[in-house]
Amino acid sequence: MNDRNRNIGEYIPADDDNIIVCRCEEITKGEIRRAVHDGMFTLTEIRRYLRTGMGLCQGQTCTKLVKSIVAKELGIRPSDLEPATGRAPMRPIEMYILAQDGEDMK
Amino acid sequence: MNAEVIIVGGGIIGCSTAYNLAKNGVSVIVLEGSEHIGNGGSTRNGGGVRQSGRDPRELPLVMYAIKNIWKDLSDMLDTDVEYHQQGNLRLGSTDKHHQILNGLTERAIKCGLDVRMIDGYEARQINPYLSEEVTCASWCPTDGHANPLTATMGYYKMARRLGAHFISGEKVTEIRKIKGKARQVITESGNIYEGDKIIVASGYESRFIVSTVGIDVPMQPVLLETLVTEAVAPMFWQMLGTADADFYGHQSNHGSFVFGLNSGYEPYARPGKPVSSSIAVSAACRGIMKYFPSLSDIKVVRSWAGWMDSCADHIPVISPVEEVPGLILACGFSGHGFGIAPAVGLLLSQLATEQKTTLDLSEFRYNRF
Amino acid sequence: MKRYDMIIVGAGPAGLSAAIESAKRGMHVIVYDENAKPGGQLFKQIHKFFGSKEHKAKIRGFRIGDELLAEASALGVEVVLNAIVIGLFSEKEVTVKIDEHVEHVKGDTVLIATGASENMVTFPGWTLPGVIGAGAAQTMMNLHGTLPGKRVLMLGSGNVGLVVSFQLMQAGCEVVALADAAPRIGGYGVHASKVSRCGVPFYLSHTIVSADGDDHVTGVTIAEVDKNWQIIKGTEKHFDVDTICLAVGLSPMSKLCDMAGCQMEDNPSKADFVPTVNKYGETSISGIYAAGDVSGIEEASSAMIEGRIAGIAAAAKLGFITEEECNIEIEKQESALEGLRQGMFAPGMRGKIITETDEGVEVSQNLLKKGFVTEEEIERFPGVTHSEGIHPVIECTQNIPCNPCQDACSKHCIKIGSNITALPAVNPEAKCTGCGMCVASCSGQAIFLVNEDCGDGTAEITLPYEFLALPQKGDKGIALNRNGQKICEAEVVNVRTAKAFDHTNLLTMKVPKEFALNARFFKKEA
Repeated sequence: MNDRNRNIGEYIPADDDNIIVCRCEEITKGEIRRAVHDGMFTLTEIRRYLRTGMGLCQGQTCTKLVKSIVAKELGIRPSDLEPATGRAPMRPIEMYILAQDGEDMK
Repeated sequence: MNAEVIIVGGGIIGCSTAYNLAKNGVSVIVLEGSEHIGNGGSTRNGGGVRQSGRDPRELPLVMYAIKNIWKDLSDMLDTDVEYHQQGNLRLGSTDKHHQILNGLTERAIKCGLDVRMIDGYEARQINPYLSEEVTCASWCPTDGHANPLTATMGYYKMARRLGAHFISGEKVTEIRKIKGKARQVITESGNIYEGDKIIVASGYESRFIVSTVGIDVPMQPVLLETLVTEAVAPMFWQMLGTADADFYGHQSNHGSFVFGLNSGYEPYARPGKPVSSSIAVSAACRGIMKYFPSLSDIKVVRSWAGWMDSCADHIPVISPVEEVPGLILACGFSGHGFGIAPAVGLLLSQLATEQKTTLDLSEFRYNRF
Repeated sequence: MKRYDMIIVGAGPAGLSAAIESAKRGMHVIVYDENAKPGGQLFKQIHKFFGSKEHKAKIRGFRIGDELLAEASALGVEVVLNAIVIGLFSEKEVTVKIDEHVEHVKGDTVLIATGASENMVTFPGWTLPGVIGAGAAQTMMNLHGTLPGKRVLMLGSGNVGLVVSFQLMQAGCEVVALADAAPRIGGYGVHASKVSRCGVPFYLSHTIVSADGDDHVTGVTIAEVDKNWQIIKGTEKHFDVDTICLAVGLSPMSKLCDMAGCQMEDNPSKADFVPTVNKYGETSISGIYAAGDVSGIEEASSAMIEGRIAGIAAAAKLGFITEEECNIEIEKQESALEGLRQGMFAPGMRGKIITETDEGVEVSQNLLKKGFVTEEEIERFPGVTHSEGIHPVIECTQNIPCNPCQDACSKHCIKIGSNITALPAVNPEAKCTGCGMCVASCSGQAIFLVNEDCGDGTAEITLPYEFLALPQKGDKGIALNRNGQKICEAEVVNVRTAKAFDHTNLLTMKVPKEFALNARFFKKEA
């Protein structure tokens, strides 16, 4: 049970808010912190709202970073936050290659 | 915990209803069963905000939303919902396609929609990336698309700011009547929430929830899949669909293409967590490339699956339940819920506060079946 | 659809080991790897591995990779490279991109051995070119023969940070400093010591404040942190560097397990989000296994054993061996794994402060904070003794699972015993012949042969030397102490190389005898 009205304090701007955290989508620490104060309490919601971890690397680099920022803002342990679900394809693949699928299944 | 209105389901319908209620000072609690807001069809759809191809009974809802809400939604929600109103092209390449599109178009014209059939040449004038395969299309210039993720989260964000109380991970198992009225909502964790009105907007799950007060809605969970590509320079802003409905989608502000897809196989997939099939993305890529060969080098970065709640007659139930006073149903959106969500949220808030609804909802009665 | 007894994703130490064990028992096995070369991280590990014989100790990582690959091929395992697994779907169906097409295959069992990726930390400038993962630096140097830069600052004192710092110097880079926000060095003391004696300063309780540069790194500022990891103003130190290497841990690449629907857990002791596995490495989905870093970050040696266990368990599951055979085999592997998971660096010891060794010897605090054991401290360890003539001095001061030195000495001068994490001790009864096998066999480069008094006022120290250009007999230079400081002049009196030494050269230098106990490295300069 995750009460979205619980008090997590005010968003207080910080010196390093302009640091880019998700490099693929160029999302800053400040944007992530503000999103938490706007109610995005899970990594999945942060991803839906800001696109963190939705770029070419699919969050391999930033998931842990985002997790620690969100956890700190919520005052919980990073391990309490579940990473967003892994999705196929595991690596970006061109449409024309995906389209050439099924030949071996005949 | 008490509130004037208890909403069961934190999807875009629940969130937009909560927003409209909170804006008018009505106290509201939204209970989301999963861990995340917007976890069902709200974040698993192609983002169409379209009138063309829609069931005529739903047309007034979407026409109202397009005319009155979508344009200002980003400002209203302090969130870029990436709304583009640059038309919808529904594409075809065979005589059969032409028949399907023509049928849809004629029906829509009768309802007063600005939509018409065009040939392949004209379609390529509108979207130069279309291949010669395209021989016909329906064209509705007032259709468009938006970002379902930011629109859903935006409604949530603003409803919360206005005082709506959201609780996730709180799965509703039962509605309980008190002295003849639906008043209590009981969750898996044993918590009880009480309100004057209870709105059930939980997709297919609604069926199990309202059955606890003796109500059933004939609907089925249907598996839909979506793919997203890497970002590329902007190419076009129209919403796309096909006569075969094998793919639909658009290019987002971000530059990525979002395509909903349908493998054509077993829509009533196994129950449980929605699981992507191993072939749907490939099938969609073949369909997309046939009409848009220039997308063939673009990389697919992600795909996912989700359930939609497909109603027996393919339009939703948006209705007070007189035989269970206090209960309001909003489910069975059959995969068309996103575009009409802003209007549905407004109408549900009116139902919950016993005001006259802006639009007639009689087509969406729960007892029509 | 094509079907295999086992589909293995990842041709690293875990994947190849599993392939060997399952193929050996008659299974039809295919291994996919997205890289152009098999072996995973093994192929950039140019250092000698720790452990005992069964763990392939004292063999360099890349040779272990070669051995595994040869063994797998001989058993008929198909290893497909440049093969990107797209997804693992229901019914254990794997889709894989090979060249320009997509194949669908099914496995009666599937092993996910996808390894790990490097963690990053953020600071102003962290996205500048020149900020790279230590593992990436290692790939550039050891696989592609390219230097990542000229002057490097390393952040992270775990084994990766320490090993890569040393390899950067071997490749010809200058490592200007090694920093870590933790108050104590995280990796093996012997790895730290070999970096320290080359003159690299350690800054513990320090983190990066910022990287400088407009379009690439031109410098870095570090500063001390307090107990709450906050930067202490006024403690900033600046270095001109063109490269900042980050060795701040690894995260399991467990996305494929998650996608397949395996039950996952966020387990800080396993370093992150990992599939829940039983003792056979089987996930919550029957027949899907996970082994190696993907199921919890450990050393490659552990990954190999985990892979073997999964391979054997899968063979039993599919009826290629009996339950009994399986249990016997797995017990053997488990005891080997148990052997590696002992000592001060065992997975269960993470974060614990250790003050003394199993033998009751007080741990060198200087080693934990500065990377070297002081002259006073070193005397209390059982490997450090004094006797006439040439004798081994074993500066191994922590309980780590490693024992090749014991077997290396044919005269039995070195004793560890059956517990492989025990500190090596010098046997006073045995006579050292100065063969140098112990020096070359020590993966931590912690053994020296010392003749404290040659009778002419000098002492001779034989040390492991793995740098180019190799000094020649007669070369004059300077001797450095454990801290990398110049302490006296030195002359190379012998350089030995031998096949048995496996590229660890034995350099003998002559120094004034008063420096016998602290001259530990040679630098060829005036």
